[in-house]
Formats: sequence, structure tokens, C-alpha cells
Amino acid sequence: MKVLLPYLKKYRKDALIATLAVLVLVFATLWQPRLLQTVMTAIMAKDRAAVWQNGIWLIVLAVIGIAGGVVNTVYSARLALGVATDLRADIYRHVQTFAYADIETFSASNLVVRMTNDVQQIQGAVMAAFQQVTRIPLLFFGALALALTTMPQQWWVILAMLVIIVLVAVVAFRQMSSLFGQTQQLIENVNTVARENLMGIRVVKSFVQEDNQIKTFAKPSDELRDVTTRIGELFAVLMPAFFLTANVAIAGSVYLVGTQVLAHPAYIAAVSSFTSYLGQILFAVINGSFIMTFASRAFISMGRVREVFDHQPSMHFAQGPAKPVRGDITFDHVTFTYPGDETPTLKDVSFTVPAGQMLGIVGATGSGKTTLAQLIARLFDPDSGRVLIGGVDVRDLPEQTLRDAVAFVLQRSTLFSGTIAQNLRQVQKEATAASMHRAAEIAQAAEFIERLPETYDAPVEERSANFSGGQKQRLAITRGVIADPEILILDDATSALDAKSEKLVQEALDRDLKHTTTVVIAEKISSIIRADAILVLDGGRVVGEGTHQELVRENAIYQEIYQTQKAKEGRLPA
Amino acid sequence: MKDLKLAGRYYWHYLKPYGWPFFWSAVLIGISTACVVVAPTYLGRAISELTTYVQAWADPATRAGASLTTFHHTLLFYVLFYFGDASSLLIASWLLAKVTAYSTGTMRIGLFRKMQRMKVQYFDQHSDGDILARYTSDLDNIFNALNQALIDFLLAIAQMIGILIMMFNQSTTMAWVTMSTTPVALLIAALVMKKAAVAVDQQQTDIGALNGYINEQVTGQKVIITNGLQQDSVAGFNTYNHQVRKTATRGQIWSGILSPLLSGMSLLNTAIVIFAGSWLALGGSLSTGAALALVVVFVNYAQQYYQPIITLTSLYGMIQLAITGARRVDEVRSQPDEVRPVNGKAIDHIDRALKIDDVHFSYLPGKEILHGVTIDVQKGQMVALVGPTGSGKTTVMNLLNRFYDVDSGRITIDGTDLRDFDLAQLRQTVGIVLQDPQLFSGTIADNIRFGDPDAGMDRVLAAAKQANIHDFIESLPDGYETKVSDEQNVFSAGQKQLMSIARTILTDPRLLILDEATSNVDTVTEAKIQAAMDNVIQGRTSFVIAHRLKTILNADRIVVLQHGRIIEQGSHQELLAQHGFYAELYRNQMVFE
Repeated sequence: MKVLLPYLKKYRKDALIATLAVLVLVFATLWQPRLLQTVMTAIMAKDRAAVWQNGIWLIVLAVIGIAGGVVNTVYSARLALGVATDLRADIYRHVQTFAYADIETFSASNLVVRMTNDVQQIQGAVMAAFQQVTRIPLLFFGALALALTTMPQQWWVILAMLVIIVLVAVVAFRQMSSLFGQTQQLIENVNTVARENLMGIRVVKSFVQEDNQIKTFAKPSDELRDVTTRIGELFAVLMPAFFLTANVAIAGSVYLVGTQVLAHPAYIAAVSSFTSYLGQILFAVINGSFIMTFASRAFISMGRVREVFDHQPSMHFAQGPAKPVRGDITFDHVTFTYPGDETPTLKDVSFTVPAGQMLGIVGATGSGKTTLAQLIARLFDPDSGRVLIGGVDVRDLPEQTLRDAVAFVLQRSTLFSGTIAQNLRQVQKEATAASMHRAAEIAQAAEFIERLPETYDAPVEERSANFSGGQKQRLAITRGVIADPEILILDDATSALDAKSEKLVQEALDRDLKHTTTVVIAEKISSIIRADAILVLDGGRVVGEGTHQELVRENAIYQEIYQTQKAKEGRLPA
Repeated sequence: MKDLKLAGRYYWHYLKPYGWPFFWSAVLIGISTACVVVAPTYLGRAISELTTYVQAWADPATRAGASLTTFHHTLLFYVLFYFGDASSLLIASWLLAKVTAYSTGTMRIGLFRKMQRMKVQYFDQHSDGDILARYTSDLDNIFNALNQALIDFLLAIAQMIGILIMMFNQSTTMAWVTMSTTPVALLIAALVMKKAAVAVDQQQTDIGALNGYINEQVTGQKVIITNGLQQDSVAGFNTYNHQVRKTATRGQIWSGILSPLLSGMSLLNTAIVIFAGSWLALGGSLSTGAALALVVVFVNYAQQYYQPIITLTSLYGMIQLAITGARRVDEVRSQPDEVRPVNGKAIDHIDRALKIDDVHFSYLPGKEILHGVTIDVQKGQMVALVGPTGSGKTTVMNLLNRFYDVDSGRITIDGTDLRDFDLAQLRQTVGIVLQDPQLFSGTIADNIRFGDPDAGMDRVLAAAKQANIHDFIESLPDGYETKVSDEQNVFSAGQKQLMSIARTILTDPRLLILDEATSNVDTVTEAKIQAAMDNVIQGRTSFVIAHRLKTILNADRIVVLQHGRIIEQGSHQELLAQHGFYAELYRNQMVFE
């Protein structure tokens, strides 16, 4: 709740108007039976003028009620959307201050859910709060007060009705929420089986397991059916029980009026309004319990949003203007453990790459190659030891300096939807056609980009779905080199390129980006065979360092990797 | 309109078995409604009796005869009618709840059953998300509509009829007065709903765009951070966010305003009824008691009269969703099943050879993928398929297992066309190991014995050992009882691949198709998989779809496909000597000193 307060404060005008409008609406709803009572008295007294006057009032009151309802909806919507928009923007801005480790802590998809579903949930709750929630207690207490003043002697009838209804509601809703919980779980089970069968339909069919899978599916599906039946039965009892209770209360109170009518003849005229109030009390209780059920979901969402706000970015950068650094890289006894892991992923890693050289990194899956590269870009900080760029600890570099110096091209090369040029300009604001062409030439991408009808203004769809794997990687490399970085990291970024294009990319890098230090992580030895130095990683440790020739001679692990990729019978006739 | 017809057909199919429960629910709802509309007249009569009693008491002449007996009886009837209402409504809701739960249960299983019978083509042409949405949102919408709209709709209609009858019975004039605002209310409802539909549509589109943006950016956060694009990202976000604010405010207003408007109209209507009623009471020939009773009764009616109108308009959206849902589920239901030959020939082994004979095939009409492919495989041979992406390698696998059928030409085993074999037996004879080794929820042992759930632990162990995965499984704390679930991806791609190989080994297929995994496996793990595959291939006729040539150097024959045609064919040595496509591919993939 505390999360929302500043936002509600900001839109207090909307909130105030929405609340006032509800008051007007509730007043109109509650006052109508009162006016009816006056009209009835007037009829008994045969007072035409009073009937006329009160009749006009009735209509005016109804029109005010409509206006109140409309104004309330409009301002509730404005308020809810204002709060939701600002809240979402603040979360987004906060998330953008996160270090990569913070994103991983929550997981990207989880953060997306908090910014979309959870905010939507809260928006719905705010809207409902200002439409319904203020109205229900008002209606409840208003109707209660009016009912009591109409026939004060009958307070205990109202009380008896309330006790019964509340008891029934509490028992039923408690049971219902446990059943709803079960439903949620069962729906998930049903969907899991369905999803697995969708993705594995070929497996199911080729193993002729259709009938067994139908049986597997039927189990949660039948359980779901039985639980929903129970919920349905519960509801079936609930509503008639509520209404019966209310009507028995009405009959009871009318019966009591009969016993008191000689002392209080005016009660006859009051019967109608009294029964109306009883109806409104019932309405308030029923809707109140429904809203409670839904509100619990919004509270959960608020808690989740708050978690994001409470999480402070785990990494801070040195302040100061961006300034150029040299491109040499040094790892000085670096040990690193991922948050939440027990064993370190990198253990005591030390090496140095002089500026302008190419470093290759090889090793099995999970040996720590990508982790090592991520420390250069300072996506994470080491537990101990130092990572130095141009002789300076990366923790002492201003963020902009580091980002300008290091370009990181990933294996799953994410381009954002928009155009090719927009993606490139994100890295170099003033990129011209010439500079884009140059970068694309290096990445061997110019050839296919310039064949597109819109060339550099060609659209990039979501997930870059309109480009092949090799094209995506070449576009990502284009983005990586356009700003002439001091350090270029290619994390398996040429895996979808054929050997010829890969060779061309590397030659172009050598030729055009002489001063750039290149770090290449690869599965294929052919990708790093030309490197000035190759690091062999195994279980997070550097177990070999040298050129290809040296490592083939001396390093057992390198030999094992090489063996799996070596041509069967040596050199081919050219 | 076509949707409506499809939906009608769909619901008829699934609700037909529940004729009697529906009949009784309708009868009970009728009874309940009759009770609800009749009951208030007893309240009016009670007040009228009370007035008479008071007047009789006030007059000394009649005081002795004044009695409350009739008043009490009237009240008793009031309660009895509501009791009738409550009990019949309870039974009706109970019946309908059962009908809803059971019919949607049948729909859900029916959809799943259908999925198991359908052609693989459907799954290839639709995204998983789209098909899954039929289980989630579509069946959900159908359930919600049946669960709530059904009874509410029946009640609303019954109420409307009941109230109209009662009103006209009591006073024609007052009935017309009560109905007087209806056209205005309907007009407002129609206008607002139309506006709301447009506004909500726009809102959903913009929310979709915003969510898409957030998703893209946050999942690409590594790129944003490494390029220092945080501020750009926020700026882009703000554009979408403000757009949503604008359109969603409109959407919320238009969709939220109908309910207060109609409640307000109900209030106005009640006011008009009171006003008109009291004039009628004053001017007419009615006794004061009767006049008061008339007003009270009609105030009650006026409120009840608007209830079904409000209910029906609020159901509109729900019903719309249920119609769309039914159409989408029905679309699946009307897909063709796999073709299974009647009295298909039995098959459990290969005697001589498998022959692919001049096969033409297209996934989409007019877009042929295979243009006359012929491959001969003798029993016990290993044949490798090689070629660039899109050359048709995987298509051949699809045809061997009859996931698809050939357009022309034929595939035969020992001279018999695949399409003449019993489909289940054919698939038991042909085993596949897929690129993406889908595992299922359950234990590791369950997954290995997937193809034969009755297999004993000894067979599971033997298969795992052959697949080189036994030691890994044993090293897990729960061993073979370790749970496999899609949330906790504890297994690497390589480990999953090995488990899927064990799964295939257990069923001991005579013909084997191996679609090699390409991604996320380093070359050392790949060698391990290779060894496992070599174990499986032993003594079996096999097809290997290879992406990395290392796998197939020992194949009896290598077939090179390009653009759906065989361009080269022969052993590794023969192909190298040809200096063709294969030789080039080989040069590109291997490392040479």
C-alpha cells in the first residue's frame, strides 16, 4: 500500500473528485427510499403539492446519481491510468539502473511480468477502489444508519441478518479460496501436459504413446473438473442462502411492524424504505466479500512491485567525464562466483593481452568462457582479484568510458525492433551512411544489407525474425565495430557464419581495426586458430596459454578439443 | 455470423448429452422466477392488510372485528415463495454447475485427444503459443461463459418475462410507465458498447506494443548495459507508456461507464414510477391502502425490471468471448486426422531393404521441397543425409515416420508401401532421436521407459548404460527417480540428448533415424553423444541427418541433398575425391594444420 501513496498523492485532485462523485452517487441511492417514504406519507395525507414536489426531487436525485456515476468512472479511470503509468515508468527507470547481476537476480521474464501484469493488476485495483471500495462501506454504513433511524426498534432484526450472512460468507469464501488455489495448481498441471505434448508431438507419435498421454492428461483434467464442480455447488448454495436470509429478515420486520403498528402507524409508510435498506446492506456485504477476494491479488502485486523498488543496484561506477583508455586487458588473480552459487565459476584467472592483439578462448561448455568475457565488460565484479583495462581497474572507470571502450557481441545477437540504422545509431549517435557501410564491410554484412530495397533503413522485426542466423550475427558484429571500440569481444558471435565469411571478418578486423584488442570465444578451433594467444579454460581455471601450435603440442585438454574437430586425414589437396 | 454458426455447432455437440439437466434447470428457473415476481405482491398485500387493520381499529365500530390473521398469512406466503425461489434456484444452479464442469472437462479432454490424432502438419503450421491458448484462454472463456452467463442469461430472460406478466396483471398503465425508459436505456447501452469495443481494441493494441517493448528491452538488457543504452531505452519506453495512458484511459472510461449509466437509469426509472404511481394513487378510485400497495409493488418491479437489462448487457462481452473461443477450439476439432490404413499390414522388422523411390513432396501446395529423391538402403546399412539448411534432410525423416505422406513416388520396406502398414506398428519399428530432445514431466526412469511404460528397471538401466548416461544419472542424489520438469532446467542440452537416446534404445527399433543436435553442445560432449549414437546404430538400419560431418565419416553411404535433389552420393572417400559440394563443406568444418 505504501508503494502507492506517493502516486495517489500526485493525482489527489482526480482522487478527490472521484470520491466526491461516489459520495453523491451513494447519497442518491440511499436517499431515494427516504423520499419514497415521504411520498407515501403524502399519499396517505392526500397532499398533492407534497407529492408533486417530492416527485420532482426524486427525478432530480436520479439525474444527480447518473452524473455522480459517470464523473466517478471518468476520474477513477484517469486516476488509475495516471498511477499505473507513473508506477510503470518508475519501475522501468529503476530497472535501467540495475547491474546485470540484479536483472539475473529477478530474471528478465520475471521483471517483465512485474511491469506488465502486476502493474495492470494494481491499475485494476485502484480503479475498482475508487469505483466500488469507497462505495461499499459508505453504502453499508449509510444503509445501516438509515435503516436504524427508520425503525429503531428493529435493530436486532438487522443484526441477526448480518450475523447469519457474514457467517455464511466467511465460511464459504474461506473454503472457496482454498478451492481456487487448488484450481490454479490443476490448471497449471493441465497446461504443462498440454505444452509438453505440443512440443513433443513427434516424440509421442513416434513412440506410439498417444493413448498413454491421453490418460496422463485425463488425470489433472478430471481433478480440475471435480474441483470446479465443488466451487459451482458452493456458489449454488451461497446466493440463494443470502437472498433467503434477507427476505426472511424483511418478513420478520414486517411482522414486527404489525405488532407495533397501533403505537406507530407511520411505520406502514416506512416498510418499503426499510426493506430497500436491508437489500442494500445485503448488496454491500456480498460485493464486499467478492472484492476482498480480488483485492488480495492486487496486494500480492504491490508486494512484488515493492521488491523491485527495494532492490538497489548492486554496482556503482566511478564519476567523471568519459575519456579514452588504452585497449590492453589484464586479469590479476580473478576469482568470481555467480550470486547464489556455491562454487566459483572462475578460479584465480590471470593473463594479459597487449592492445591491438587477438585473444582466443576455448573450453568445454560451463568452463567459464563467457563469464570471463562478461567481467571485461563489467557485467559482474570479481570476488577477488582485479580486471584492468588500459592499466586501470574497471571499477575505477566511469560507465561511459567503459561502454565506449568495450563492444560486446553475443552469440544470441539481440537486435532491437526498428531499422538497421536505428540499431547502429544506438551505438554511434552520428553514424553516417559511409560509417555504416564501413562497419558493415568489416562484418561482411554490407553485401546483403545493400541488396535490401531499403538498405540501412530496412526494418528489423521483433527477435530479428526477418534475418537468418548468419545475417543476425553479421548485423550484431556491424553494431559492435561501428564505434571503433578499443576492445571487441566476440562471444561465439560467428558460430552461424561459414568458415569463409568468418575468415573474411577476421581479416577485415586485422586490417581496419588495428588498434582494437579482440577477444574471441569459440567452440570451433578454426575461429581462433589465428589468434595471437589462446587461453584454454577448464572448470574455471586457465589450464593453457599459447598459440595454436604450442597448445597442440603441449596441452592435453586443447588436444582433446582439437581431436574432435580435426580432419580425418590431414590436409586436403587444395 | 459464421462464428455464431460454428459456435452453435460446437456447443450443441458438447451440451447435447445434458438435455435432461437443462430441461430441469429451465423448469426450476421458471419456478424460481415465478416465486420472485409473485412474492413482492404479498408484501404489498400485507401492507394493504395492515392499513385496513389500522383503519378498522381506529373506528370504534369495527374495532372488534379488526384482526391481523390475514396479515400473518400473507407474510407466511411471502416467506414461502422466497423459500421456493431459493430452493429451486439452488437445485438449478447445482445442476448447471455440474453440466458446466463436466462439459468443459469433456471439451478439454476432447481437444487433447484430437491433438493426439491430428496430422503433424497442424503443429508445424501453428505456433505452440497459439495452440496452447486454446487450452488456456479459449477454454477458460468458454468455461466462464457457461459457468456464469448460462444461468444469468436464463434467469434474466425468465425474470423479464415474469416481471412483464406481473406488471401487466397488476396495472397496465403502471406497467407502461415502468417500461417507458427502456428504449433510452437500450440506445445508451448500444452506443456505449460500440464506443467501448473500439476504445478497448485500441487499448489492447497499445498495451500489446508496450508489453512487447518491455519484453524485448529487458530480455536484451545485456546488450543495453554493454552498450550503455539505458537512457535511450527509457526514452523509447516513455513513448509507449504515454500512448497506453492515453488510449487506456479512454478504454477504461468507455467500458466502465455502462454500469453506472444503467444503474442510474434504473434509479431514474424508479423515480418516474414513484412519481407516476403517486399521481395515479391520488387521482384514482383506489383506496389509500391499495394505492400505497400499488406504489410499493411497482417500486419493487421497477428495480427488478432493470436487473435483467443490466445483466444482459454485462454478459455481452463474456458471450462474445465464448463465441470466439468456441470457434477457435472448433477449428482444431475440424482438422483432418492422420490417415491410418484399415487392416494395415503387420510389421516388426526389416528383412531386406528400405527404398525411397522417386519421391516428390511439398509442405505447401505449389512449393515442392523434394524433387524426385531416390535412396536405397540395405538392411543393416547406415546412410547419412548431408546438405545445407532447407535442402530437405529433415523432410526425409518426416516421411519415413509418416509424419507426412509423399505427394508422389513411394517409400517401401521390403516392397510394401509405408502407407499400407499399420501406423502404430510402423512407428514402433522406426525409432527416432530428435534434434530437440523433448523430455516429459516425471522421473528420469519414466522418461527412459517412455516408449514402453511397462518396461522394468533392468531394461531402463541397460538402455542408460548403452547411451553413456548411466554414470551421470547415478551421480544425482535421487538417481533414476530424479524429477524432470520444465521449470528447473537442471540438465544440459547434451544430457537431455543422451537421455533421449536411451529412450530410443529401450524400444529397440529396427530402423533408426537420428537427427543430430546442432546447438548448445560443445565438441567434447558431442563426441560422447557420438559414441552413444554409434552404440545405437550397431546392428540396425539407420539414417543419420548430420550437421557436423565428424558424425558420419563411417557411414556406408553419404547422400548430399541440395534444394531437394540428390547432388552427390557415395562414401566419404569417394565424395572427397569428387571435389564437389561435400568436399567444400568438409574443408569448411574441419580444422587443418
